[in-house]
Amino acid sequence: MRELPRFSGRIAKAPEGHLDPVLLETARVARRRFMGRALALGAGAAATGLANAQGGGSTAAAGPPGKPSSSADGDPAILNLPAHTTGLGQPVAATGYGAPSTWERNIQRRQSPGLTQVAQASVSFCPLQSLFGIITPSGLHFERHHQGWWDIDPAQHRLMVNGLVREARVFTMDDLMRLPSVSRVHFIECGANSAMEWGRSTVPSVQYTHGMLSCAEFTGVKLSTLLDLCGADLRRARTVLAEGADGSSMTRTIAIERALDDVIVAWGMNGEMLRPENGYPLRLVVPGVQGVSWVKYLRRLEVGDQPYYTKDEELHYVDLMPDGTSRQFTSIQECKSVITTPSGAQTLLDTGYYNVTGLAWSGRGKVRRVDVSVDSGRNWRTARLEGPVLSKALTRFNIDWVWDGTPAVLQSRAIDETGYVQPKINQLRAVRGTRSIYHNNAIQSWRVAETGEVTNVQAF
Amino acid sequence: MVTVDCINAGRRAWRVAAALAMVTVDIAALSASAAIAQPAQRAAPSASPMPSTSPSQTSTPSAATSAAFARVGRAATPAEVRAWDIDVRGDFAGLPRGAGNVALGGRIWEARCAACHGVFGESNEVFTPLVGGTTKQDIETGRVKSLVSGGHPHRTTLMRASRLSTLWDYVHRAMPWNAPKSLAPDEVYGVLAYLLNLGEIVPDDFTLSDRNIAETERRLPNRHGKVFFRDLWEVAGKGDVANPACMRDCPVEGQLAASLPDAARNANGNIAEQVRPFGPARGTDTSAPPRTEPVGTR
Repeated sequence: MRELPRFSGRIAKAPEGHLDPVLLETARVARRRFMGRALALGAGAAATGLANAQGGGSTAAAGPPGKPSSSADGDPAILNLPAHTTGLGQPVAATGYGAPSTWERNIQRRQSPGLTQVAQASVSFCPLQSLFGIITPSGLHFERHHQGWWDIDPAQHRLMVNGLVREARVFTMDDLMRLPSVSRVHFIECGANSAMEWGRSTVPSVQYTHGMLSCAEFTGVKLSTLLDLCGADLRRARTVLAEGADGSSMTRTIAIERALDDVIVAWGMNGEMLRPENGYPLRLVVPGVQGVSWVKYLRRLEVGDQPYYTKDEELHYVDLMPDGTSRQFTSIQECKSVITTPSGAQTLLDTGYYNVTGLAWSGRGKVRRVDVSVDSGRNWRTARLEGPVLSKALTRFNIDWVWDGTPAVLQSRAIDETGYVQPKINQLRAVRGTRSIYHNNAIQSWRVAETGEVTNVQAF
Repeated sequence: MVTVDCINAGRRAWRVAAALAMVTVDIAALSASAAIAQPAQRAAPSASPMPSTSPSQTSTPSAATSAAFARVGRAATPAEVRAWDIDVRGDFAGLPRGAGNVALGGRIWEARCAACHGVFGESNEVFTPLVGGTTKQDIETGRVKSLVSGGHPHRTTLMRASRLSTLWDYVHRAMPWNAPKSLAPDEVYGVLAYLLNLGEIVPDDFTLSDRNIAETERRLPNRHGKVFFRDLWEVAGKGDVANPACMRDCPVEGQLAASLPDAARNANGNIAEQVRPFGPARGTDTSAPPRTEPVGTR
């Protein structure tokens, strides 16, 4: 092992030295494929460069096979020019629908073991710790399926609107996509997000504590436009039932006031069509409301004059209270926030400056303010909100922190435009106990140990 | 299959409807003529989330918009509405006529349901158990005691259910797991009769039907177990906790109340392999014990 010059606290271990064997192999194959292509193109120069590049990122850890350079001279990643600097790169349209860098393979939505027993009625968690800004890449959007997902032929998909309407009508995707559309950024959070944490800390990282959360720009026709078109009888209408086309044919009751406000019948997500896992080709977007109401594979809307008491309004998504009753029709995702870096199961590499960053959101409107504490909630400073701050959308916050190396407990506390302040877990428990599963919007605590390891704790 | 005829018929229907000066057609009423039972009487639900007053306006697009939209979509045929309008509401509106007894339900259960739910609805292999945790006293009171004490290891379906309409609707639309919507109405009645019998809510010779489902619902152990909580239904709700936005020297209870046990550290896999291997922090190697070296070494 050679002694490396210490250019900064972070350079001691080059990235590839930390990759798992699978990822290393992927990267190696990717490079080899590149070399094959470059040679086929007659780019001999690329091959020369590639010899050096085989070391690539691992130069520092394993030593380069190419021209060695003394570590005393400087960083081999600078001194040994890599293939991408000395060779010919790939052509346009090499991948018709691009994919993330092979180096990003660790970043995946993942299941949490033991949460569910069958993968078709389960959830995968979004890797919040690895994302920037407020938009969730569509391929990393969290999943929740109730009876498996499908990739439905949009030419065969129909939406029916019936019930208290002038005339029951059927729409094809052709019809719907002709109508006036809106594009709006909204978060979607499962009502059971952070469910495991009601009693104690149970999972290691923010992916599992908060990863049933995503945010996207959705495009579609406002539900109010469709109800207008069908002549909904608004004197009698109180509810809209939304129903999916998948096996579970998920149903949820939407209040008519909300249906006429900001609900969208959406086909677009982040500029492309919805992904199949998220309801392709049509889903309901119910801003501020728990994800179960955002019915996927939407096939039917029924205007009614009463709530429907569907399975997920009666057996699930009810909040068990200490007195044994269950609150029903709890739908709003109240104001909440979480620090995503530093966060659980991360290890800080050094003392000194850190940009503490995280996400805040509210089902009741815009986030007004986020405060951050590094001493278990004794003292707070107000973080910077990054624009745009949108209603019922994720909001990114950042704040400077200089870590002195002593143990710290990091927390964030969001306040929304109604003045509601995100509660501590003990305040929630005082009212709701520990068994309600749903709607845990408590302040999250991350402990930073002297060793740099960050762990999931509860402090209030 | 959408045919041109069908579309034209839809357009004609639209014009007729318009000519009838916006006559409201209640499709639920239409469906009632197609072997759908009348809504059963039930007491006004104590937990109704609906406002008592109503907006007093029929949705009518401007004439120009309405005319332009007339060519978007088409009228649904009665058969199409029947094919898809399968929901059974809390007041049993939409419930098909029919009947099934415990014996029929038992046969269907063994063939179609037991693989996942166990012969006695007790299995925890694939889904949470359906049966258990309820008592004869619960049937009397309408409140499941083990939901208060937390004494039962699971929250079974029979512990939670307050409405048979919900169970009928869900079994009919989503069960069996691998062949949803394949049970005929009589079979759904039978399956529910069997399930209720497992919970000792109905006797062995019981037949459940559209005629007695409402009174049978009044035997559900948790029928009085739900409350409507308006603050988490309406956007304008206030919530149920108040945290003052204290900034300095705020009261805290001191010690860490809980932290992730070391034993659970690697339960979700090695986090080092689940995060980006560069940036301001690394994923912790959770396959190893917590590090003891100070930050910046190793």
